[in-house]
Amino acid sequence: MTQNTLALGVEAVGCAAFDAGIKGAFGYPGTPSTEGFEFVEAMIQEAPEGRVARWAANEKVAYDLALGVSYAGHRTLVTMKHVGLNVAMDAYANSALTGVRGGLVLLVADDPGMHSSQNEQDSRRLAEFAWLPCLEPSTVQECYDFTWQAFELSEALQIPVMVRLVTRLAHCRAALRRRAILPPTGLGLAPKDTIQDWVLIPSNARRRYVDLLAKQPRLIERLAPMNRLVAGGSRQGVAVSGMGRAYFDQLLLEYPALAALPRLEVAAYPVDPQLEAAFLAQVDEVFVFEEDYPVLEERLGLRGSAKVRGRLDGTVPRTGELTPRQLKNALALLVAEAKESITLDLPPRAPRFCDGCGHVDAYEAMQEALANLGVPETRVFGDIGCYTLAAQEPMGAIHAVVEMGASISMAVGAALAGQTPSVAVIGDSTFGHSGLPALLTAADSDVNVTIIILDNRVVGMTGQQPSQALDQVERMALGMGIPEAQLQVLTPLPRLHDANVKAMESALQHPGPSVVIFRRECIQSMRRGVLKDHDRELKACAEQVCASTEARP
Amino acid sequence: MSAPRIHGIVLSGVGGQGVLSLAQIVLEALRRSGLHALQSEIHGMSQRGGSVHAQVCFSEGPLTSPIIDEGSADLLIALEPLEALRYVSMLRMNGHLVVSEEPQINMEGYPPIDDVYAALKAVRGAHLLDTEDLARRLSHKQAGGMALLGMASRFLPVSPEVWQDVITQRFEAKGARVTEKNLEAFQAGRGLIQETVGA
Repeated sequence: MTQNTLALGVEAVGCAAFDAGIKGAFGYPGTPSTEGFEFVEAMIQEAPEGRVARWAANEKVAYDLALGVSYAGHRTLVTMKHVGLNVAMDAYANSALTGVRGGLVLLVADDPGMHSSQNEQDSRRLAEFAWLPCLEPSTVQECYDFTWQAFELSEALQIPVMVRLVTRLAHCRAALRRRAILPPTGLGLAPKDTIQDWVLIPSNARRRYVDLLAKQPRLIERLAPMNRLVAGGSRQGVAVSGMGRAYFDQLLLEYPALAALPRLEVAAYPVDPQLEAAFLAQVDEVFVFEEDYPVLEERLGLRGSAKVRGRLDGTVPRTGELTPRQLKNALALLVAEAKESITLDLPPRAPRFCDGCGHVDAYEAMQEALANLGVPETRVFGDIGCYTLAAQEPMGAIHAVVEMGASISMAVGAALAGQTPSVAVIGDSTFGHSGLPALLTAADSDVNVTIIILDNRVVGMTGQQPSQALDQVERMALGMGIPEAQLQVLTPLPRLHDANVKAMESALQHPGPSVVIFRRECIQSMRRGVLKDHDRELKACAEQVCASTEARP
Repeated sequence: MSAPRIHGIVLSGVGGQGVLSLAQIVLEALRRSGLHALQSEIHGMSQRGGSVHAQVCFSEGPLTSPIIDEGSADLLIALEPLEALRYVSMLRMNGHLVVSEEPQINMEGYPPIDDVYAALKAVRGAHLLDTEDLARRLSHKQAGGMALLGMASRFLPVSPEVWQDVITQRFEAKGARVTEKNLEAFQAGRGLIQETVGA
C-alpha cells in the first residue's frame, strides 16, 4: 500500500517510524524537532495496538526510555533538537557500546542559523564522536525513506542510528509516499548470552569498544550505496550533503552546465575514504556545500590533493545557514534581477510576551522587589523558555541565559562567590528537565539564593505540550530539601502585584535558599483548553475527597 | 528542451495572523493541481508576535530546494504592510505583491504609516487591500487573509474548483458557516483583480 500525504520533514521521520513498526516513541520538545514526535504521537493515539508515545522529562530520559524498549526487543524512535543531544549524550555515547536489540533511531534536528537555539552545533560531529552512523536526508521523501533504512541498519549492525535534519528540511512541507505499515512486532528480549554486552563495567566495556570499532568497516560497506560519485568532465568539482545537496540538485535544473562538475554526494556517515579518494583524483578544486560545520570540507582538505573551497576559506560564510544564493556566488552563477530593495528603515519585529502573560506580572514583581531592597548591580540568572524574552530591552530582567537548568546552579555559584542576593528564574518544564538536581545542590548551599519558578503548567514556547512537572512543583521543591517556610506560591496577576512584591522581598532577604513559585496557566494553552480535561478531573477528584471527608462523623 | 520553470511564492506577516496556515492552503491547492510543490516555514520564537514568513515553490517538474533566492519569487502575499516591505527584494522584476493595508503596531520604531504606503505603492505589481474595511463589509473579522489569497489566486495556476475544495476542506471542522464566510472572503478578493496570469 502506498499513499500520498503532506508532511514536514520531521513529521516524515515520525511517520516512517510508525510505518516501520515501532513500539515506542519518546522525546523532549525543542524547535525544530517537536513536530516529529507529535506526528507519531497522533498516529499512535489513533491506532495504539500496544504502541506508546511519551514526552519525557528531558532528552536523556527519553533516550534511555528508547534504549529500554530496544532492550525488550522492539523498534523505537527518540526525538530531540541538537542541543538536546548534549543532554542525552551520556546515554547516546554509551549505547554505542551496549548496542541495541530492537532498532533504535534517533531523530536530531539541528538549527543552523540559530532560528530558535543558543548555538548551531553540528550533530554529525557527535555521531562521529560516538562511532555511530548518521544518515542525512535532503528531501522530505528521503526523511521518510532514510528512517526506514535507519531501522534496518540499526538491527543489522545492532547499533543506534542517527537521522540528522536541519531546520530548513525539518520545516519543509511536501508530499510523501508511504510504504505499507508494519505491525509493532518484536525480536524478543535481549538473549541471556548477550546480557554482559549491556553491563558496561570496565571488563565488558573494553570488549564492547573493540566490538564497536570492529563494526566500522561493515558500517562503511553498508552505507556505501547511499554515497555516490557522479563523474563529470571538469577538473572543478562539488561535494554536497544535506541541504547543500538539495540546493545543488535544484541548481542543476536551472543551470544544466553544472553537470560538467564531478560531484560527491554524501547522505550517510561515515563516508568511505576510498570514495573520497576516487573523487579527489578527478578534481583540482572542490566546492563543498554542507549545512553547519565544515565536516566534509575538513576531511577532503586533509588529503591535501585539491584546493577545497567552503566555510574554512570564506567561499561560504563561516557561520549561519547555507542558502541557494551562497551556492550561486561560490560557483559564480548569474543571479536573477530583483525588484529594488526598500530604502525605508525597517526595524525588526521581535517576538514578545503574549498580552496577559503571567510571566510579565512575575517579572514586574521581581524587579520592583529588587529595586525596593536597593540591591546594587543586580544580576538575575535566566533559563530557556518563553520567559527568556525578558532578557530583551526595555524589560532587561534577566542577565544570563546559557542552557537548560543553568539558572539555578549559576545563581548558587554566584552566591557562593559573594554575589548576593542571587536570583534564578526558571520555567516549570525546564525545572523538571534539569532544574531538579540543581535545586538539590541549591537547598544544600546555605547561601542567599532565590529561585523563582515560573509555573505556567505547560511547555509554553514549543506549543504548549503538557509539562511533566504539572501540579507537582511545590512537592518537588520540598522534596529537594527547600524548607516549607521558604517556599511561597504566588499568582502573577496585576491586582496581586503589591502582595507579590512583598513576598518577593521576604524571599530575597532570607539569608538561605528560598523558592518562589509564580503559578498561572499559559495564556495560549488556556485559549486552546489544553488542560481543561485535566483540571476538570482534578476538581472532581478534589470534590469527591471533600465530600467523603465531610461525610465522616 | 529546458527544464520546467520554478515558481516561488513568499508569504509574510506577524505571528498569529495565520501566515503558515495560508501557506498550507496554497501548497495543497498547487499539489491538487498536479504540480510539484514544497513549502518552507520558520517557527519557534516567531509565534510570539514576531515576524513570520513562509515560502512555497512549485514547478511542473520535481523540486528539491524548499527555499527560493532573492529575485526569484513570482508572488508575495503579505498580511501586514511592513512585513511586505521586508520581502520585496525576493520578487522578480515582473512579480506581483498582494498586501494588506492594515498595520500591526506591536513593535518599537514602526515607521510612519504613510511612508510605508508610499513605499508599497512604488512597487510595480503591488495590489493593496484595505482588509479592515473589507472585514467590516463582510462582517467577518478574519476576512483579510482569505481575501488576499483570493487576489493572489489570480496569479496562480489553480482552478476555482480546486480553491473551493481546498478551502472547504480546511474549514470543514469549524462548521458550514465558517467555511461559507471564508469562501465569501476569498471570492471578494478574487473579484478585485481581473487579469488572469497563467503559469
